[in-house]
This record gives sequence, structure tokens and C-alpha cells, in this order.
Amino acid sequence: MLDAFIQGLFVVLQWQTFLVMLLGIFLGFWVGLLPGLGGATTLALMLPFIYKMTPVEAFAFLLGMHAVVATTGDITSVLFGVPGEGTTAATILDGHAMAKKGEAGRALGAALMSSLVGALIGAFALALSIPIVRPLVLTFGAPELFMLAVVGIAFISSLSGQGGRALVRGILAGLLGLLFAMVGEDPQGGVQRFTFGQLYLWGGLDLVPVLVGLFAIPEIVDLAVRGTAIAGELPQEKLGRGVWEGVKDTFRHFWLTVRCSLIGTFIGIMPGLGGGVAQWISYGHAVQSARDQEERRGFGKGDVRGVLGPGAANNSKEGGALIPTIAFGVPGSSAMAILLGAFFLQGIMPGPDMLDKYLVLTFSMVWTLVVANIITVAASLFFLNQLAKLTLVRGSILIPLILLLAFIGSYTSNNHLGDLVVFLFFGFTGYLMIRCGWPRAPLVLGFVLGKIAENNFYISTIRYGPSWLMRPVVLVLILATVIVMIYPFIQLPRRRAPAEAATG
Amino acid sequence: MKATMNLRFFLALAATLVASYALYASMYWPFRTALFPRIIGVPLLILALVEMALSAFGTERQQEGHAVDFELTTSVDTAVARRRTRAIVAWTLGFLALILLIGFPLAVPLFVFLYLKVAGGEGWVLTLSLAALSWLFMKGLFDRLLHLPFPEGWIFSLWS
Repeated sequence: MLDAFIQGLFVVLQWQTFLVMLLGIFLGFWVGLLPGLGGATTLALMLPFIYKMTPVEAFAFLLGMHAVVATTGDITSVLFGVPGEGTTAATILDGHAMAKKGEAGRALGAALMSSLVGALIGAFALALSIPIVRPLVLTFGAPELFMLAVVGIAFISSLSGQGGRALVRGILAGLLGLLFAMVGEDPQGGVQRFTFGQLYLWGGLDLVPVLVGLFAIPEIVDLAVRGTAIAGELPQEKLGRGVWEGVKDTFRHFWLTVRCSLIGTFIGIMPGLGGGVAQWISYGHAVQSARDQEERRGFGKGDVRGVLGPGAANNSKEGGALIPTIAFGVPGSSAMAILLGAFFLQGIMPGPDMLDKYLVLTFSMVWTLVVANIITVAASLFFLNQLAKLTLVRGSILIPLILLLAFIGSYTSNNHLGDLVVFLFFGFTGYLMIRCGWPRAPLVLGFVLGKIAENNFYISTIRYGPSWLMRPVVLVLILATVIVMIYPFIQLPRRRAPAEAATG
Repeated sequence: MKATMNLRFFLALAATLVASYALYASMYWPFRTALFPRIIGVPLLILALVEMALSAFGTERQQEGHAVDFELTTSVDTAVARRRTRAIVAWTLGFLALILLIGFPLAVPLFVFLYLKVAGGEGWVLTLSLAALSWLFMKGLFDRLLHLPFPEGWIFSLWS
């Protein structure tokens, strides 16, 4: 086992393999930066190029590319408030807020270093868990996956504000997200729901225009209203200092980064949940780590922990998602489904053979995740200070360029003009939500989880009848949901009491 | 403050209407298609009505109800903020109109040019350089390299 582990590193470092991995990293770097160009799409586009490669080269190329997409996606999210990838939207909440305070360098440093830590933990989990993951995956059937979705939405709703009123708004946003996910053809009966006779809506709403709209438009409006650069009128010297501060932040909040990485790995292992979910649950966990009400108020306004959590989870989920893909041939996400295609193109059958016949290849994948992230973070750190200076460019120059990226990013998801209408609809919805104090995170999580939740709910009901509610893990998750929902009500009087004692 | 309260009421009203429509539409679907929308629609309707009532009659404690999310700038004079908001909304919708009328490849550089010159008041060199760069970006990456199918504008489709 140890021999194969070391051999896995050596095969990745062989010059041909290393070169194709560098090429993959280069492609992934730019794909991550540009909104709308998704990692999964690029994986699919690159599949034809692996025919002539050896299996190790092919996976070094594809995984090298895929591993860095989420890392560089964070850069766009932090600098411009536009999600570079669908899986990097949560970084905007605090990362872009930091950029507006003149701490873009620190936010980028934190995002990149936490991404690296996350990737290493994800890869480590992949290396360790293949022999033991089978019982875990088998414990989570459709009822448990449905309840996991419910817990996720309840969790993020309860953490999206303070007090009962915020909980109401959080749940409202989550339910709206679930409802928006139901647009399109019902997967069970083939009936059109909320399509208003539009062919475009038959396939449902795409995540990219929804996310880009929800996050980019409010930021653009705010930038236009302020009439300054993203970082306001701050002196240039202040920006450059932050990168190492951000790197140090990762180690100051090391256990938070580790916990969020583990959350990402766990969600990555669960089939169908993916990075869209991992980032928000981790963000929720980061918010939960606030020691008091005052600290929690800082989230969304530039707390570095809000960058570390999603940054770590985004990358650790890749290692997690590879586990069921390699061990059982069950892809955890669309990107992994495409990667599964690569296995077949190379004539390899995922499953027990990967732990025996192809063990070196399996470990080479682990090493690719590690090496690709180290190279990307090291290369990025060199010019983060320069990137941070983009936040000092006048708003009047940035606005048309950000709008251009947002429009094209939305359009490229389906190559349909309907995407632009969806983008604007969700853009102005996001703006209204912010004006009215409604959190956007539960809406996004509800939207991401909607189809998964409905499918698993349907399978649970058909397969088990009402008895699925009595399954042990389901009961635990129901209890967790109840606790999460009543938490703000228990917490508020407890927190008010010391505050009142202090003031009076 | 009053405007925000009204806006909160209308957002809650919009959520109420969405939930009502979802429940109404689900009446015409087979049970298994309608089941999940109903499970979501009922609590959505109840909570939207609660939020609407609270927005209309309730008071909101300082900080309570505030979302963990970024907050819009409040340091700019309200009238100026309103004027700038209306302007950027108009520019955004104008960009969409341009894309529909003349297609992406032409709309992108034209929008960049117009925004920089008219709204930004930037100099000719910067304006023309960035407009040219945006055109190159569109043409080079999305058209030549990725071969994205951009529809031609409505104006051109009328001629062809």
C-alpha cells in the first residue's frame, strides 16, 4: 500500500505526466476565473484529447484542470462579486465585502490558502477512506439524503440572521429556492410545471444565470451608487499588505478550516449533493462559529471566516466526490460523471480493481489533487497583490466589464437568450432581497437542493411508504432539524440577558 | 425607512402570490407531480402571510431580522442613490436590448463604448481601447475558440 502511495507520486512527477498536468492546470485556472465557463463543461470539452494519453497522464490532465477551477473561481468572486464558478458563490458574501473594505489581498490569501488546506484534506480523505467508505455510502439511502437536504436548508436559514424574524425570512427564502427548482419537466410524471408554455423552461432554470444574477446585479448596483472603486478611496499601499495576513488567517482559524474541509469531503462523498451545497453548509458552519451576536453581525460584511469556510469546502469536496466514483463507479456530481466517462475511454472499470490492479493510478489521482493545488496557490500568491489592485480601478470602468462578464457568463450556460432574462430576473430579486433584509444563501441552497430533495422524497415515499420516517438516521436528522429551527429562539434570550446586564 | 417597509411588504406580497400560484397550478397536476410543490407551497404561503402582516403592522427591533449578507451603501445621499440606481438599471436593461437588437458580437463593444463615454465620461483612448479589447475577447475566446452560437440580432434577422 505504502509502495503504491509513493509510486503514485513518482508517476505524477514524470515529465510527460507533469507537463500535461501543467497544461490542465493552466486551462483550469482561466476556466475558474471566467464566470459561466464551468469546470464540468470544460472537462467534457477536453475528453477527446485523452484518447492518446496513458491513464495516469489522462487523469493528471483532467483532474489537474478540475482541481484548480474552484480555487481560481474564488478570485473572481472576491474581486468582482461575480461567482467565477457556481461553487464559489458563497465566497462573495464576505470575500467581496472584504474587497470593498480594501482587504482584497487578505481575502484572496485566505481563499487560496484555505482552498489548499481543503484540497489536501480532501485528498487525504480519499487516500484513507476508500476501504471504509462503503458502509457510509450505503447508510445514506433516499430518505436520509432527503432529510440531509432538509437539515441543510434549515441550518442555513437559521444562521442567516438574528432572531425569529430572520428565521422566517430565511425559511421563506429557502422555500422559494425549492420552488424555483421545480420549474420544468417533473422527473416523475413528465408533466410541465411553471413553464408558462415556454420551451426554454422545460429543462428547468440553470444554476449559472440564477447565481450570477443573484450576486452580480446587487453588487453592480451598489458599485454604481457609491460612484467609487470597489475598495472606495483607499490608498494603494493598504491593499498589497493583506495577502500574507489572509494566509495567516487560515492558520489562525485552522480548526474551522479543517472542519469545513471535512464538511466538504462528506458532502462530496454523498452522491448528488456536490459543491453547490458544500460551500453553503460550510458558510453556515463558519457563521455558527461566531462567539456572540456582535461577531455574527460581522458576517456578510467582511469576516475572514466567511471566506475560509467555503474556500476549504470547495476544494475538499473534490477528494470526497472521487471516493464513490473510484470505489463504486457512482459519480457524486456532474463533473465526476464526466470523469467516469474518462475511465471508460481509458478502458478502466471503476470498482474493486482500483484498490488492487490500479492502486498506483488511484494514488496518482490523490497526488494530482495535491500537486495541482500546491502549484496553483504558489503561482497565484505571486501576483495576488497585483490582482488586488483591480479593486482600485474606477467603478465607471469596471461596471461595463463586470456586466459584460455577467451577461456572457449567464448566456454560456445554455446558449439561449432566455438565460439573460433569468439572469436579470434573479438579479433584481437579489437586489430586492438585500434591500428588504432577506438572506440570499437559503434561496441558493434551496434551489441547488430542490431537485435532489424532490427525487429522494419521491423515492422514499414510493419505496418505503410512511415508514421511511422511522429509519434511525432519518430520526436523528429530524431531531437535528428541530434543534436547528429552535436554536435562534433559545439563543436570543440567553444573549440578550448578558447584554441587558451590561447596559443596565 | 417607510419606503423600505413598503418594499418589504411588497416582497412578502410577491412571495404570497408565488406560493398561491404554485398551489393553484398544482390542483391541475397528477398527485405525484403535485405532491412536492404542495408540501413546499403551504408553508411558503403561511410564512409569506406572516411576513406580510409583520411588515404591515409589526415593528422591527434594531439588528433583529438583519440578514447575514452584504448591506447596500447608506453613505450616499438618498436622492443621488435613487438616481444612480435608476441609471444603472436602465443601462443594464439597455444592454439586454442591444444584445437582442444587434446580437452579442456587436452589442458588447458598443455597450462598453457607450457606457465608458456617456456614463463614465472617460477619455477617447481608454474608451476605444477597452471597447476594442472587449470585442477581441468576444471574438477570440467565445467565437473563434469556443465556437459559441451567438444569435444574430433581431434587426439583422429582419433583413435576412
